[in-house]
Amino acid sequence: MITRQSKVLQALAAAGIAGLALSACTAGGGDTGATDATTETATEESTDAAAGDVPSWCGPEEITFGLLDGFGGNSWRLVTTAGGEEEAKKCPSVTEYLYADGQGDTQKAISDIQSMVATGVDAMVVFPDAGEAMLPALRSAYEAGVVTVPYRVDPGGEDGVDYDVWIGADFVQSGKDWAEWTLENFPDGAKILFLSGPAGNSQGIDEAAGAKELLSDAKYEFIGEQPFEVTNWDPALTQQVLTAAIAKYPEIDIIFSDFGPSLVGALPEFTKSGRAIPALATSDGNLLGCFWQEQQDAGNGFDMMSVATGNDNVRLAVQTAIALATGGVVPEKGEGFVHPKFEDSISGSPSPVQCRDDLPGDIYLSAQLDADSQASLLK
Amino acid sequence: MTETAAKTSRASLFATHKGVSTVALAILAVVVLGALFAPSSVSPGAILGMLPFAAVLAIIGLGQMLVVQQGGIDLSVPGAMSLAIVIISHYPTGDNSLVLPALGIAFLWAVGAGVLNALLIGYIGLNPIIATLGTNALLFGAIIGISGGTPRATAEILRTIAGDRTLGIPHTVFFALIALLVVSLLLKKTVAGRRFEAAGASRPAAFVVGLNVKAFNGMSYVWAQMLYLLGGVLLAGVTSQPTAYMGNSYLLPSVAVVVLGGTSLLGGRGFPLATVLAALFLRQLDQFVLALGVPFAVRTLVQAAAFVIGVAIYTIDWGEVRRRFQSVNRSPSGRKHS
Repeated sequence: MITRQSKVLQALAAAGIAGLALSACTAGGGDTGATDATTETATEESTDAAAGDVPSWCGPEEITFGLLDGFGGNSWRLVTTAGGEEEAKKCPSVTEYLYADGQGDTQKAISDIQSMVATGVDAMVVFPDAGEAMLPALRSAYEAGVVTVPYRVDPGGEDGVDYDVWIGADFVQSGKDWAEWTLENFPDGAKILFLSGPAGNSQGIDEAAGAKELLSDAKYEFIGEQPFEVTNWDPALTQQVLTAAIAKYPEIDIIFSDFGPSLVGALPEFTKSGRAIPALATSDGNLLGCFWQEQQDAGNGFDMMSVATGNDNVRLAVQTAIALATGGVVPEKGEGFVHPKFEDSISGSPSPVQCRDDLPGDIYLSAQLDADSQASLLK
Repeated sequence: MTETAAKTSRASLFATHKGVSTVALAILAVVVLGALFAPSSVSPGAILGMLPFAAVLAIIGLGQMLVVQQGGIDLSVPGAMSLAIVIISHYPTGDNSLVLPALGIAFLWAVGAGVLNALLIGYIGLNPIIATLGTNALLFGAIIGISGGTPRATAEILRTIAGDRTLGIPHTVFFALIALLVVSLLLKKTVAGRRFEAAGASRPAAFVVGLNVKAFNGMSYVWAQMLYLLGGVLLAGVTSQPTAYMGNSYLLPSVAVVVLGGTSLLGGRGFPLATVLAALFLRQLDQFVLALGVPFAVRTLVQAAAFVIGVAIYTIDWGEVRRRFQSVNRSPSGRKHS
């Protein structure tokens, strides 16, 4: 009796698991396709592209191209990935486009690289989130004869030895851009709070170095933990860190942050404690732009400048990888991708603060991929 | 027999007292230390900024407490919270009118996850660590499936409901108080609640008196999911731009507040008020360490230390330690060694 009952229950439980798993699958079916490697053939697009101008970086040799993300889990990555795909499809020689998402799991990111090599891709662009942990996998792909281009995060290693070329981003320049704006608008000095991601992340360290190089005068004081306050780019932690800073420092003139939109939940803490929102030098995002507009309208206006958040870093990497594999003209690498200045509420140049309140907050108006296409990605 | 019973009741009475008073003392300590060494940590702004996060942790902690009371443990907290966050921000994508339907969907998922845990642990008798870890993985599968791991900015209305203040008090605090009230009343003042505690205290005894132990055990996971859902939705509202994996940082604290509140990991009586106070303590400790301006590494160490000390307070029999220490000192063998 007891055995039969427990068997029935086991069956029920199994059905429950299956149900959950199935519904997860159906939910994922029509969506962003972040489940493992998504295969798409680029035939349709290639004919379109062939009709127009073929970019110089696109050579004649036909290739299969792979884009690998270490972690695809935020809107920034979504827009970046779409930008990479759009760029790849400009080149008719790319006959097949593959994508894989490591989902923040280093093991999976490594096995993604290995399976791409096994499937026979000719060129791959990799976002090596795990840093040096990805180097052996990159090297083995490179040694297997696949054009390997890591970008943005530094995997260690050397160009031409461990991989073809690393397309980094020039974060020092972002720090300098913020510093220049500060020098211009706060000539009498300022107290600056700098927020970045996880402790010791190289992006934050580079930005801090760039900023401090120009703001060496003693009248510019960096307050809080040095070189930056750790927020893990987590909005909840950002809010806690900022709350503590507001309470601790009676004067904060400028906030530097390399992830502007993550501040939106936290900045109202200033108004709540009866203080004005300080000036902001950061990276862009529609959510932030619209927040700025809202505050402006509500009479809590603040000054702000932003550099492009850098979704287009991927384009330079894609161009380079495709050029190397197809025999096209390899673009200049320089110091890596430079985040162009984007918004400036004071000078209005290169652009005043932008807000598309008819579109979701999670899009980046600085990206080449147009706003409406970004918004449709999020549906 | 009666003597033992009297002893037990005295012991549990003492435990209630110990839980609330210990945590209250800890809060007092961190406030006093704060006032002395990092005055900004006790300023109104810092406290008001800390409260929403304490409230969310309190709600999650209450859920974990219900499970721990049944001698279980729920490791599906990260998946459950993250899924609630993803659903409540993904479906509406900023559209206020879709928040309520999204809440409905999230509710169904929470019930599903809870029932799954209940079946696996309550009825089939799987180890809760294994079963809830499995459920957690399934929930993360659902998160990736629904959203590609990408949540959206929260809808305006949710930001208002969760993030604003009324009479100067953050709304999340009201939600936490309501959760505390409901959990306390159901647990302490209803027959079902008393039976629930009895089933957790001793399964064989509860079985002998005819209680449906499996049902109580299983249901704790369902109730817990309801609280995780509430916590997740509130957290999405508090942080306008949530990430898809925000529940991850709540697993350890959720167990920590239960333990700090004095609920035994072996099951039995639960202490809702002490659990909520423990959440307040942990978050104020965060504020204190942040305000001290120590490096991130030290901050992490202090939080870990608080957990260890908290566990030690309840699990080590300090009277026994003292007695042994004294006997070592007094006994001739002690002298021989020295």
